[in-house]
Amino acid sequence: MTTHRLLQLALRSAAVGYVALLILFPLVAIAHQSFTGGIDHFIQDISTPQASSALILTLEAAFITTVINALFGTLSAIVLVRYEFPGRWFLNALVDLPFAIPTLVTGLMIAAIYGPTTILGTWLQQGGVSVLYDKPGIVLAMLFVTMPFTIRSLQPVLMELERDQEEAAFSLGASPWTTFWKVTVPSVLPGLLTGVFLTFVRALGEFGSIVIVAGNIPMKTQVASVYVYGEIESYNPQGATSVSVFILLISFLVLVLLERLTRPPGERLPRWFRWSKQPLSMIRPSEIG
Amino acid sequence: MGASSLFALLLAWIIFSGSVLAGETRELTLAAYSVPKEAYERTIIPAFQRQWKQRTGQEVRIRSSYGASGAQTRAIIGGFDADVAVLSLEGDLDQIAKAGLISHDWRTGPHKGMVSASVVALGVRKGNPKGIKGWEDLARPGVEVLYPNPKTSGGAMWDVVAIYGAGLKLAEQQAGAGKKPSAESAEAFATSLLKRIQKNVKVMDKSGRESVTTFERGVGDVIVTYENELLPRIKSHRPYELIVPQETVWIENPASIIDKHVDRHHVRDVAEAFVAFLHSEEAQAAFTELGFRPIGQATAPTSAGTALPLPNRLFTIADLGGWETISTKLFGPHGAWTTTVEDLARGK
Repeated sequence: MTTHRLLQLALRSAAVGYVALLILFPLVAIAHQSFTGGIDHFIQDISTPQASSALILTLEAAFITTVINALFGTLSAIVLVRYEFPGRWFLNALVDLPFAIPTLVTGLMIAAIYGPTTILGTWLQQGGVSVLYDKPGIVLAMLFVTMPFTIRSLQPVLMELERDQEEAAFSLGASPWTTFWKVTVPSVLPGLLTGVFLTFVRALGEFGSIVIVAGNIPMKTQVASVYVYGEIESYNPQGATSVSVFILLISFLVLVLLERLTRPPGERLPRWFRWSKQPLSMIRPSEIG
Repeated sequence: MGASSLFALLLAWIIFSGSVLAGETRELTLAAYSVPKEAYERTIIPAFQRQWKQRTGQEVRIRSSYGASGAQTRAIIGGFDADVAVLSLEGDLDQIAKAGLISHDWRTGPHKGMVSASVVALGVRKGNPKGIKGWEDLARPGVEVLYPNPKTSGGAMWDVVAIYGAGLKLAEQQAGAGKKPSAESAEAFATSLLKRIQKNVKVMDKSGRESVTTFERGVGDVIVTYENELLPRIKSHRPYELIVPQETVWIENPASIIDKHVDRHHVRDVAEAFVAFLHSEEAQAAFTELGFRPIGQATAPTSAGTALPLPNRLFTIADLGGWETISTKLFGPHGAWTTTVEDLARGK
């Protein structure tokens, strides 16, 4: 065996060990804990009225968040990449801020804007719109913490996208809209999907900001993560882990789906795992007639 | 820094830690819930250190940690080797006992192991604009009420118990003098009061402290919380007022040494003296300074050297059948609070 091969082996086991130690082992531990009581217990835990309505609310809010951030994130990314305007560098720097701010602080910031004593809060209250301590507050918090995902995963693909493809489509008589939908969107789709899926799973797990801005009333404004916290605090670790594992399962499935959808053609998953011959990422602008 | 001075520093450190091991300084770890932090840090710990030094000539170093009662409990069960636990709920101390860390019956001490006391009270905005006097006023339409989530906050458990128990007392009152309502009708009334008040609750924070923060942010008309949480804030001129309802629950907070840890650290004598010291006049004065009530006030009202009058229809957890009974009755899967929340969410 040459030193080169040895080095390769060492590097590979270091990478595998690192991921296993940090992510895989804790995952296995929590999954094991939640299934020790049997699958019946697991189903019972996640289907109590309070647990199931917390899960549904979380999925709903995460879905709305994902749709909004997909739309406005795409727009923002296009603007940031394609247009020159004063203050662009500043806007670009602001985008990463949600990653840097502790989520508890995010909650405080939202409460500071929409609170009942603020100008905006009073105005909204007079209009009969409740944001803080209600469902819109939850979505607002999720939007804030997930904002960078779509923008940051779209930016590089947008920058790479060769202008001449769009120009070619345009000069061959396609309308701006057709060009956008048939040329721009398909080429940036892998990036967009990454952003969208990451937004969704990140929103599912958000706790710090939501616990401040949502009213946390069980079955009304209590999301899954806050429910889990409550169960831990009231000596029900079993119920807490079951709901956590359910969220983990959804996140895992979403991420596997993402992996599957965005792989480049040559190195996709084994045949038995595929369900179509033409994965989305294979559709290249050149194949559109 | 040269190598020689580094060496000298190391030597000094070894000598210093050696003298600690020689028994001149004893070390005690205290795990407490966060509310009485000031009383401990400012008065009780320094006073105990003085007293111990006088009695034995030894210095005591007390490492204290403060946090939510439940979190401290879990930390201790999970391996935090505190010698003394001061918690907000008996149930939390029982959990530590159940984990095998407390091997003696902690309820055998003076005042049954309790060291501080308070009642559940109401905080309202300055001038009491909504005219809040008692529990029924909290159920009026248009009154916004705050208390934290009983799942995460021991304080909120006391709050809900206070409402439910007040409901039982009010049912007795309505039945008229001398007559006693049936247990079912009293319980039905208490549950309906709880439901009507819960309906007006808009925000349920994680802890009592957070609930007060939300109230100070301008949310809500009434906050239900410990009297000792409100008194110091009112004293420091926060714009709200204290209302003690005539029907409310007597709150007691326990303390105990943790046998497993004190034996391992060889500090049983210091730990026991510390818990005993919490019952002393000096420590009790520190608690009342912070808005607590003297521990004996409810059982022996004559000994009360406080300006705080006792509510007329005060009740205790024992009156309601003890914590085990009441927590199943209110917070169990089919408890009154649990079903109330579920019914309200379903629009019933």
